[in-house]
Amino acid sequence: MKLKILIIIFIFKLSILKSAENIVEPNHIHKNLRCLVCQGQSISDSNSDFAQTVKLVVKDLIEQGKSEEEIYSFMAEKYGDWIVYKPQLNKENFLLWFLPYFILSFGGFIIFRLLKKKTQKT
Amino acid sequence: MLSNLGNFLLFLNILLSFTVIYFSLASLKSAEKIIFRKIYNISLAQSTIVLVCFFTLIAAYITSDFSLINVYQNSHSTKPTFYKISGTWGNHEGSLLLWVIILTIFSFLFLIINKNHSKNYRLYTLIVQNILILGFLFFILINSNPFLSISPVPKEGLGLNPILQDPALAIHPPLLYLGFVGSSIYFSAAIASLLTNYSERAFAKSIKNWILVSWIFQTLGITVGSIWAYYELGWGGFWFWDPVENASLLPWFAMTALFHSVVVLEKRNLLYFWVIILCLITFTLSVTGTFLVRSGILNSVHTFASDPSRGLYILAFLSIMIFSSIFLLFKKYYNKDYIINSNSKETFVLINNWFMMFYLLTVLIGTLYPIFTDAITNNKISVGPPFYNAVIIPVVIVFLIFMAVGPNTKWIKNRFVDIKKYILIFISALIINFLIGYFFKSLTILTNLIIISSLFLIISSTFDLIKSITEDRIDFARIVSHLSFGFLIFFIGLNHNFSIEKDFNMKVGETKNFDNYKIEFKKLELKNFKNYKSIVGDLKISDNKFGEERTLNPEIRIYDSPKTLTYEAAIKTNLIKDYYLTMSNIDRSEYYNIKFQKKPLMLWIWISVFALTFGGFLRIFKNAKNN
Repeated sequence: MKLKILIIIFIFKLSILKSAENIVEPNHIHKNLRCLVCQGQSISDSNSDFAQTVKLVVKDLIEQGKSEEEIYSFMAEKYGDWIVYKPQLNKENFLLWFLPYFILSFGGFIIFRLLKKKTQKT
Repeated sequence: MLSNLGNFLLFLNILLSFTVIYFSLASLKSAEKIIFRKIYNISLAQSTIVLVCFFTLIAAYITSDFSLINVYQNSHSTKPTFYKISGTWGNHEGSLLLWVIILTIFSFLFLIINKNHSKNYRLYTLIVQNILILGFLFFILINSNPFLSISPVPKEGLGLNPILQDPALAIHPPLLYLGFVGSSIYFSAAIASLLTNYSERAFAKSIKNWILVSWIFQTLGITVGSIWAYYELGWGGFWFWDPVENASLLPWFAMTALFHSVVVLEKRNLLYFWVIILCLITFTLSVTGTFLVRSGILNSVHTFASDPSRGLYILAFLSIMIFSSIFLLFKKYYNKDYIINSNSKETFVLINNWFMMFYLLTVLIGTLYPIFTDAITNNKISVGPPFYNAVIIPVVIVFLIFMAVGPNTKWIKNRFVDIKKYILIFISALIINFLIGYFFKSLTILTNLIIISSLFLIISSTFDLIKSITEDRIDFARIVSHLSFGFLIFFIGLNHNFSIEKDFNMKVGETKNFDNYKIEFKKLELKNFKNYKSIVGDLKISDNKFGEERTLNPEIRIYDSPKTLTYEAAIKTNLIKDYYLTMSNIDRSEYYNIKFQKKPLMLWIWISVFALTFGGFLRIFKNAKNN
């Protein structure tokens, strides 16, 4: 019962949230870009000259009306894939994105089999 | 002098380990029903001497004995005594010694605590554990000896990285190591259980508290590390999915899976080989974590502790560990008939393990994938927070619901709604989530789902709590842990959704307004301290809506030894929110970059984690009472 209610809420929420989309927030983008001259810092957290430059570039791109994904692609093209914290979904990274879900389904399958085996016996 | 003493004690330790193994083998062969008395004594001596060995190193640090390379490289005479001591384990060599201490002491404790278990099982555990101890002792002697001397003796040390001079960081490695290395004892016990064909239930009984102990310390270690990252690294977050953070999370998932399934083994005599596998991979992951951190393969904020040659030794050690355990497992494996009802508690424990393995493997794949792409295509990629958030969060939503439903099932009995329905719901939830991600590319929906499902868990656990009190069948440990986990996710969700972040370039005397806040940069002061100079900013934040005013004092510190610049965040914490302010200088200008963040409910995130570990403590007490 609770689950049914939950699903109804899910669907309800979906319709409401449909409108809240695609506002490009510069700081959100800065957080997903690596500062190439620092150790383990994002552009947002760094004050290096490099970070300052990237921030300006991001600002420009937003003003040009580029979407978030387009900005990441632009950055990856210019500075290499190392700069984006979110690996792009392409041939090379296919396994990275796909394997976790494969493992999840596989685990579910094993449990399903374990339970089924028993029902056949009884 | 201390160098000689230290080396002597290290050799003595190796000798004692061999003696323990020798007498254990002799005791195995003898017809006596009990373990030789002298094995206890040697084991005690071993623990004592390894501690003395560590205290020798601490003494060298306190007295700033720079004739030891290790002290010279990591300490400085002007450093406060507390950080001289914590510096002992703040570096690779010293931390390995700490690692050996925990291995040795756990070995001794396991021997004396499990007196009612079979002789052979205990002796084999001791032997395997001592083989591990020897492996690490040789590692220390061959290329990580903290007692190597240097001549001529330098007058002054190089100093410890100032961001490591911090109380939370000082206690974080020992806590984490108790978790990492604590898992060694059930690794050894699992091997011993396989070798001796030991009673499966008795095996479960003997290891369950050890799993909880290591889990508690692992959780605390990770938390304290996060707290440190939050206030010291100055970016306002506490988890970055950094490879080293991931390395500490991997064994945590395995441990969590383990202490759930070990209960099934104890109660129902099921899942024996699965529990064994989990025992083996937990410690293997701990060593892998160390390998990844120490070898410098992974680029991370922790790379101050890396050296490639060390990686090779750990890699060899790791391979031997993995291959011998796989070999043994295959040799001993047999198929057993089982009956698991689909809606029994057993099934839900399996579901817990299913999710834990998913988290574990996802984090493992995310952490290792860049190494492979770099090796194969020469293309370096970053796998950062957006990846983990996108893959893991949708699954956590479903996990939380199972976490709420699972504990209400019964052992063996099939009394609940059909599980297959839940699996179908789960799959459809996954598909819906995928569609949302595909069409909207918005995070808000996920955050909402997270909050809904965590509330589902919180409410459901609260009902359980009320029920258990009125019916007097109290299982507080589980309820406390599940409830606090629900709260943890709930607070993280809210915190994530309602955080405010703004940054400005300001100079002294300027005022900035945004939303309903006003920031006033009042003044800058230069202060001198024992081992650093500090530029302290004085900023006033006013919240016009609630009429609140706060003064925050972020700092820029200039340390002398080694010469480093650090930025200290100013944080004002209360029950509802944290104000978080960092200040940094901009080269060739009188402007400073001021970053202001409002982080709601931060304190509650920490409280939830501590409550989570408290659940673990409760379980240990309950186990102790039942025995």
